[in-house]
Order: sequence, then structure tokens, then C-alpha cells
Amino acid sequence: MQQVALAPFTVVGRLVIGVCTIVGALSLFVGRTLLACFTPRWHGGQIARQVVSIGFLSLPVVGLTAIFTGAALALNIYTGGGRFNAEQIVPQIVALGITRELAPVLVALMLSGRVATTIAAEIGAMRATEQIDAMRTLSTDPFRFLVAPRVLAGVATLPVLTGVADILGIGGGWLVSSLSLGFNPEAYARSTVAFLEAWDIQSGLIKAAAFGFIVTAMGAFHGYRATGGARGVGHAATQAMVWSGVLIFATDYLMTSWFTQT
Amino acid sequence: MRDNWIEPLVGAVVLIAAGVFLTYLLVAGDARPAPDGYSVTARFGQVGGLREGDDVRVAGVKVGRVERIALQPDTYLAVTYLEIAPQARLPRDSTARVTSDGLLGGTHVAIEPGADTAMLKAGGEIENTQGAVDLFGLIGQFINRPATAGEPAT
Amino acid sequence: MTPAAPELEWRGIRKILGGRTVLDGLDLSLAAGRSLVILGGSGQGKSVALKLALGLMRPDAGTVLFRGRSLPGLFNRRQSDLYRQSGVLFQGSALFDSLRIWEVVSFRLLHADNRPRARAREAAIEALAQVQLGPEVADLFPSELSGGMQKRVGLARAIIGAPRILFFDEPTTGLDPVTAASISRLIADQVTRLGCTAVTITHDLVSARTIADDIALLDGGRIAWQGGRADLDTVTDHRVRSMVEASLPTR
Repeated sequence: MQQVALAPFTVVGRLVIGVCTIVGALSLFVGRTLLACFTPRWHGGQIARQVVSIGFLSLPVVGLTAIFTGAALALNIYTGGGRFNAEQIVPQIVALGITRELAPVLVALMLSGRVATTIAAEIGAMRATEQIDAMRTLSTDPFRFLVAPRVLAGVATLPVLTGVADILGIGGGWLVSSLSLGFNPEAYARSTVAFLEAWDIQSGLIKAAAFGFIVTAMGAFHGYRATGGARGVGHAATQAMVWSGVLIFATDYLMTSWFTQT
Repeated sequence: MRDNWIEPLVGAVVLIAAGVFLTYLLVAGDARPAPDGYSVTARFGQVGGLREGDDVRVAGVKVGRVERIALQPDTYLAVTYLEIAPQARLPRDSTARVTSDGLLGGTHVAIEPGADTAMLKAGGEIENTQGAVDLFGLIGQFINRPATAGEPAT
Repeated sequence: MTPAAPELEWRGIRKILGGRTVLDGLDLSLAAGRSLVILGGSGQGKSVALKLALGLMRPDAGTVLFRGRSLPGLFNRRQSDLYRQSGVLFQGSALFDSLRIWEVVSFRLLHADNRPRARAREAAIEALAQVQLGPEVADLFPSELSGGMQKRVGLARAIIGAPRILFFDEPTTGLDPVTAASISRLIADQVTRLGCTAVTITHDLVSARTIADDIALLDGGRIAWQGGRADLDTVTDHRVRSMVEASLPTR
């Protein structure tokens, strides 16, 4: 009887304790990761492997995403601009939208699907088969060997991937505008270059670096905490992707509002 | 794990495509002016939407760019520093106007050459200037003009 | 003559897992150069005792001592010393899936000791030879090997640094009797060759007879019986007796 009466309190209490526990665990994890990233020793071979795996091998998906997004955006801005008799604004708005927002966010989301899940599954499977314990007994810190290389690679390669997405996104807009919307290709290119400011591109790249940290850290965090065999590993992968996605959007909003303050 | 050769190939294709388009953008957009141009100044009462990096044109052809815009503290005039290509020699009595291609952009400095035989030298100043026209101010004046007898109210 | 401090010692260890008191007052010491086998039924806490010694878990009470000094030590220093001087064979072999066999075996040399790759590979091939695996497996991946071969690779990885102390977590579990016997034999040979201290966790008595100098029975969260290998046949403790009898061939 007493327990039924207390039920709402216990539910809330359990929820709050649960949230505090996981926030605490995440903070400790991030702290250890940062320590492993910024203090020697580093495992260069592992970092290089991860840069290739996260960076280079993500190029196909990034390229496709960027081109189609730029093209679709150009079509939409053309329609919208048409309502003000201002179709000629397509190059500028496409460039702005891509560099400031769409390239960093969409690349990060594509990678949260591809990279966060992979990292969570790899590390989770290693945890489940005692490979992480084995590594520690071989005098190698799993944070320096497994986690830090992935996080460093993420922070380093996401801006590069976003840069590629910037170019190809603008390219997609240029292509559809030149082929279907009657724009002069060189005029489009000139309008784009004249309009873009360095900060448009730079702010997008800074966002990308933050997103790179989020995607890889979430993958590593959930993988490291995975329990219970195959099911646990799958659960970790899903959690990694969901948390990445949510944090990307939240961080994007915070950074955008900070960048656009006048 | 080199088990798959198609992924690196597509990745390389993507990088090459990006590199090619970037080059095109920079060339077609001609991002950098001639490095050995000469600098002149022009002072305007109003620069409107003119920004650093905008074109300087003669007869519609780009001959330079706006390097810097600054406010002169004692006269409250806007001083523009224009970087002009060495091939474009401008007579000393040329006129500089702030104008634009359309409503939404393309603001640039248009220089109409004068008749003087002496040419502007580096560091010289274009004396005759016409500032940007405040288009919306004009429209506002027209719309808000009090109706006079015989004219339909707007 | 004062006796040297034991190589490894569990002192007053208590550990509670999931509400259950798995270890309750574990006191056990191991002299240098001796091979200890810890016997016990399933779920008796043998693996936990091993993990505590390896610093993969922390006790709720009591200490583990390595060469007379308590783990983990300031900034984990003593734990790091233990890692550098030990080799571990895990129950599932715990080989690194994404690396080649020679990279797995020489992992410590490559990543902790920064040896050049060519030297590490040579050392790996030597270690593989010690466990009767030829150099042709060196470039394979762990998933391409059978369970028994993976165990051998795990053993090679454990012995490659000529460690001072070896840990074996259920080395024969899940293996067929022939393979189990050969693994036990290999373990015994390597321990003798290296002259190191060894701790083995198992419930396989046949394996224990091959490997052990000393035997301890873990029951009810503490050591219930200790003796030498030869004592197994004359022991009066009923729990040990039933294990011995269960291991004998039935007609």
C-alpha cells in the first residue's frame, strides 16, 4: 500500500538518479578521453587508420548527400525567390545555406549513422569478448589505443568532409541552376564567390569539428559501456546513433545562435 | 582492411570532382585581383550597400576591386580604397559612382573616365564622386507624398 | 632466514557482485616460481579472484599484494608494474579481431614497448613456435583459426615477454579432451621453461593435475582446502574428493 502511494515519487526519483548517473558517467568518459587525446602517448598508426576509415571512406556518402542537397535547395530557393521576383538570389542563398548549416549538419548526421554505430559496435564487441581487459593487461591503455584515435580522427576529418560537402553542395546548386533554371554558369559562380564571406565557411567548419567530437565520442562511450553479448552490442550501436543525432541538433542550434549574434 | 577497392575509388572520384569544381569557382569568380595593381581613393557621402571586395568597373568591365572602406572621422565621408589593375589608366577627372546591377546585389563602383590627358597615379584620389542612391528612401518619399488636388491617393 | 614476500597474495578479500557476496574473506598466497591452481565449482568466484589480482575489478574490502606491495599503488604504478611483468590467457582467448595473428601475439612489443615491426614479427613467430604453431598462421586473422589454435595464440601472446607471472582463466574450458590435454601440457611446459609463477583458474581436474604444483579449493567465497598436487589422491575433504572422483573415467 505504502509503495503504491510512493510510486510517482519513486518513478521520478529513479529517472533523476538515472539521468545523473549517465551524465556523470559521460562526463568522466569525456574527461578521460580528453586526457588521452591531449597528453602523450599517442598511437599514430591507429590514428592514421581511423582517419582513413572515418574520413576517406565516408567521402562517397558525403559527396552524394551534398550534391543532391545543393540541387534540391537551389530549386526551392528559386521557387521562393520567384515570389519576390528575386530569382537571381539563388546562388547566394544556396551558398549561405550550404556552408553555414546544411553541409556541417547533414555530413554529421550521415556520419552518425555510419561512424557512431560502427565505433559502438567495434568497441562493444571488444568489451564483450574481454579484448579490452586483455589490452589493459598488455600495458596498453584502451583510451589511448581505441578511443582517442577515433575521436581525434573525427574532429580532424569532419571539417575536411564538410569542406568537400560545401564545394559539392554549391556544385549541385550550380549544376541544376545552369541546366534547368536558365542561369549563366559563370555568372552563378561569380555571384557565389562574391557573396560568400570567410566566416560563412569557417563557422561551418567549426561546427563540423564539434560534431566530429560528438559522433565519435558517442560511439566510443556506448561501446565501452556495452554489456551482455550480441544484444548489448546492438543496443549500444543504436544508442550511439540516437544520442549523436540529438546532440548534433542541440549543439547546432546553440552554435548557430552564438554565431549569428550581432 | 583492403577488401573493397570500390570505396577508395569512389572516394578518390569525389575528391577529384570537388577539386575540379573548386578550381572552376575560383577561376570563374576571379577571387584574387592582379597583385601589381595601383591604389586610388574615392570619398563618398553614402556608400549604401557597397562592401569590401566588390567590383570596380569601367563601362561595365571589371578593372579592380574595393580593398577597404573606412569612415573619415572629421568629414563623416566614407573613404574607399580601390585597387585598380595596372592596364586600366584613369584620367584625373574621372567620376566614381556607387551603383548596382539589381535590387538584390551586384553593388559596385562604376568609374566614368573623364577627358583629362593627365592620368591618376597610385595614391591619387578620384575627386568627382556620386554616392549610392537610397532607393527605398525615394520610394518612401513617393508613397508618403501628401495627395494634391487632382491626383489619386496612392 | 626471513622468507621472501610471496609473489602474489590475496588478503582478506571481499567482493559483492549484483547483491551476492562472491568472495568473503579470501586469503591466499603464492610463492615465486610455484604454479597454483584454484579449483572450484562454477560460479564460485574463481574468475573474480583472478580479475581482482589483475586490477580489472577492485575489492570491496581487503588487498591484493604483488611482491609484498599492495595494488594498485599510487597512480596505478604497482598495477602497471604487474601488467608489464605478467602474461594472461583469457577464457575466450580475447584475441584482437582486426589484427593479424603476429600483430596480436606481439601486441605488447608493438604498442607498449615500441619495438620495430620486423623485430616484433620475429618474436611473434618464435612465440608461436613455442606453442607448436607454424609461421604460416602469422598472417591470418583470429577468426580464421579453430578454438584450440586461438587458445595457443593466446598463450603465445601471454609468454612472449618472458613474464614473471602467468595467469590462466579456464584454459581448457570448451575444448575437446585431446586439445585440452595438449593445452595443459603446453602450459606446464612453458611455466617450467620460463621458471615463472603461475595462477590457473579451472574446474578441470585433469588439467589441474598436469599444471599444478599447489592446489587451492575456493568454496563459499573463501579457500576451503589447500594442498599439493600429490595430495589430491589422499585428500579427506569431501568437496575435493567429489571433484576428484567426478574427474575419473567411469566404466
